[in-house]
Amino acid sequence: MIEKIVYMVCQVLLVLFVAPLVEGIIKKVKARLQNRIGADLVQPYRDLFKYLRKDAVLAKEASWLTRTTPYLVFAVVLGSVSLLPMAALYSPLTFTGDIILLVYLFAVVRFFLAITALDSGSAFGGMGSSREMIMSAICEAALLLAVIAVLMQVGTTNLGVIVESLLTGGRDLFNYAYWLSFVAFLLVVIVETGRIPYDNPDTHLELTMIHEAMLLEYSGRYWGLLHWALLVKQILVFTLFIDLFIPWGIAKEFTGLAIFEGSIFYLLKVILLGILLAVIETLYAKMRLFKVPKLLVVSMALSVLAIVLQIAV
Amino acid sequence: MHKEHLLPACQYIHGERKARLFTMVGNDERQINGSFSLYYVFAIDEIHFFVTIKIALSQVDPTFPSLAAYIPALDWYEREVNDLLGLRAIGHPNRVPLILHGDSLGIHPLCKDYVETGLLPQTSDMTDTVEYMGEDVTQIPVGPIHAGIIEPGHFRFGAVGDTILHLDAKLFYTHRGIEKTLEGKTVQEARFLIERICCVCNVSHSASFAQAVESAAGIEISQRAKFLRCLYLELERLYNHVGDVGNICSGYGFAVGSSQGARLKEQLLQLNERLTGHRYLRGTIVPGGVNCDLDEAELVLLMESINEIDVDFQEFVDILLGHEIAMDRMETTGKLSLQQVDDFEAVGIAARASGRDVDCRRDFPYAAYEQLDFAVVLQTEGDVLARIKVRIVEAFNSMLLIRQILSRLPKGASQTDIPLIEPYTSSLGWSESARGENTHWIMFDKNNTIYRYRIRSAAYSNWPVVPLAVEGNIIPDFPLINKSFELCYACCDR
Repeated sequence: MIEKIVYMVCQVLLVLFVAPLVEGIIKKVKARLQNRIGADLVQPYRDLFKYLRKDAVLAKEASWLTRTTPYLVFAVVLGSVSLLPMAALYSPLTFTGDIILLVYLFAVVRFFLAITALDSGSAFGGMGSSREMIMSAICEAALLLAVIAVLMQVGTTNLGVIVESLLTGGRDLFNYAYWLSFVAFLLVVIVETGRIPYDNPDTHLELTMIHEAMLLEYSGRYWGLLHWALLVKQILVFTLFIDLFIPWGIAKEFTGLAIFEGSIFYLLKVILLGILLAVIETLYAKMRLFKVPKLLVVSMALSVLAIVLQIAV
Repeated sequence: MHKEHLLPACQYIHGERKARLFTMVGNDERQINGSFSLYYVFAIDEIHFFVTIKIALSQVDPTFPSLAAYIPALDWYEREVNDLLGLRAIGHPNRVPLILHGDSLGIHPLCKDYVETGLLPQTSDMTDTVEYMGEDVTQIPVGPIHAGIIEPGHFRFGAVGDTILHLDAKLFYTHRGIEKTLEGKTVQEARFLIERICCVCNVSHSASFAQAVESAAGIEISQRAKFLRCLYLELERLYNHVGDVGNICSGYGFAVGSSQGARLKEQLLQLNERLTGHRYLRGTIVPGGVNCDLDEAELVLLMESINEIDVDFQEFVDILLGHEIAMDRMETTGKLSLQQVDDFEAVGIAARASGRDVDCRRDFPYAAYEQLDFAVVLQTEGDVLARIKVRIVEAFNSMLLIRQILSRLPKGASQTDIPLIEPYTSSLGWSESARGENTHWIMFDKNNTIYRYRIRSAAYSNWPVVPLAVEGNIIPDFPLINKSFELCYACCDR
């Protein structure tokens, strides 16, 4: 029991401290691909440290929501971390929920961010949350469909079992359904992490933002906490993708050495996925706002195809 | 001319003779002839002629008939003379102050009897914004302080969802009173202020100034100076266009485009520094010629660098125009019709991208442009893509012009002395900057000092069409549309 609790704490801490590094790597890769030198890999840590030390400035009209949301989002994201298998097949809180719960924990985060953006009454917040809610109405469906496409192949919503199925041959790698849902989910990953061509994480143009516009009112330690939570959420989305599609290297036994190996493999996979996203971001430009749903519709169509194929076979 | 005849005269010249409004100047001439004067300068491109209509307004009745309803481009000019000189346009459709925001204080800084008393008192300036009726229209105020490092401007969108119904742009937040400060300065002193009107148009502004001074003095500068002026003007156009093409890419997050544009612009700026000692070419053009001559080694360096940038820029343009999402974002975005640019007398890129055939390098040749071969680039779509295409082709044309200048640069002196100018002579100077023509109107006082200086920059003519281009587009496209015009705020905030 003790070692499982230690493992859980380690898993949460690992994700918490690796998340900024992954962001640093993505930024560095993007900079190199654009012929720029780019900031240090550790720059996101410095930023976080700086934000967390600073006092926050809040709007006069801001209510308790604005003050609570950063902590709430941070807590929800940390909770989700312990739901997912990362280095080992075992995940600490696996008895409490499954993959469907995870989808709705993301929805909780989104709900609180959107409602808080309206709190201070700034025009950008309202614009951002209205866009985010429209997009999330489609995005949630796309995410669920992609997940269902995988679930159909396995027959359970328990993540541990899903991960195991690919390793033990319960799910065929050379199946159309695998690849269709692979691409469908990758599109969802791009949207969930707010990256080009869906949203531009590096822009300063308030009017073009979707996700960032909701966070403009935050500053200082509140912003630091929120920023950190969102970096962790990015890792969570990556992990979900890794668990569903590239689980190889994960520790099957619960021993020290296996878990160590599993962690190394896990980190490598996260970093590779980050690099893939950086390449996609450099190749593409941001789409027109009203064409974004089409991207998600493509993802949904692929998922539906995967489901249909699964049923037909 | 008496002010009653203003309307028929302008209607004839503007409507029948197809003259375009070049500038309009209000002047306090009470010390000279006891009245205020308004000068309406029209340009007739076909026959390369200017027509100036002058009306005198007495101190007891400083009003004049508004023509803004007939010539929409006069809207800003008429509001400006109201703010700065207290001359009221009777029948103006929109009496909101243009330059001095807020309630009218009865302070008119350009009057000769104005005494500077430090900062003007603050007044509430929320009264001069448009109110929208109806529940579905949301007001979205943006600025005047923005997230990026850009100049101040307040934009108020009336939007339904993400679609823009109406845009109200309030500028002139950093009005510096340059025109007032210039009064009483000698030509030599004025030169430094003129260069600081706007950093990225400073060569064009100094060229306009120098030409206005030379035309008032009635002198002709040397051939070498003329060619060198063209060279500096084209170098300024080149770095602006290359940088702007890259900058437009950041409007839709195409990072490769913005990085390459920034890199090429930096190369050009460093080239400028090696040639003239200043990255933005300040101090190159002076009344009477140029202040910075180039030797053989520098000309070779320039030729080599231009050849290098030509290749790189071509590669960059190929990537950009072959990028599917980039093209999709630019096509049909921010459309301006020919009618709209004609009505507001837009100039430069904004005009040429919509098919308005104006380019004062060809229509009113100055410096050595008469002796050089170049084409005026026209597009007809009037969208962001058309504006970027005009920039791209003009950038290549600038490189061709630079090569022509280098192969034909005559020998000789680069400076001529300025003689004493007759008091109260007025003159015009103009030049085509990267954004359009910059027109300077000067009236001289005794001892080569300036009595009145009026700067009409390209941005001043083009800002009024930006809100028109934005209507019907979606809010996330506004930064892109704004970048496609790339107007300076400083050029307006004289």
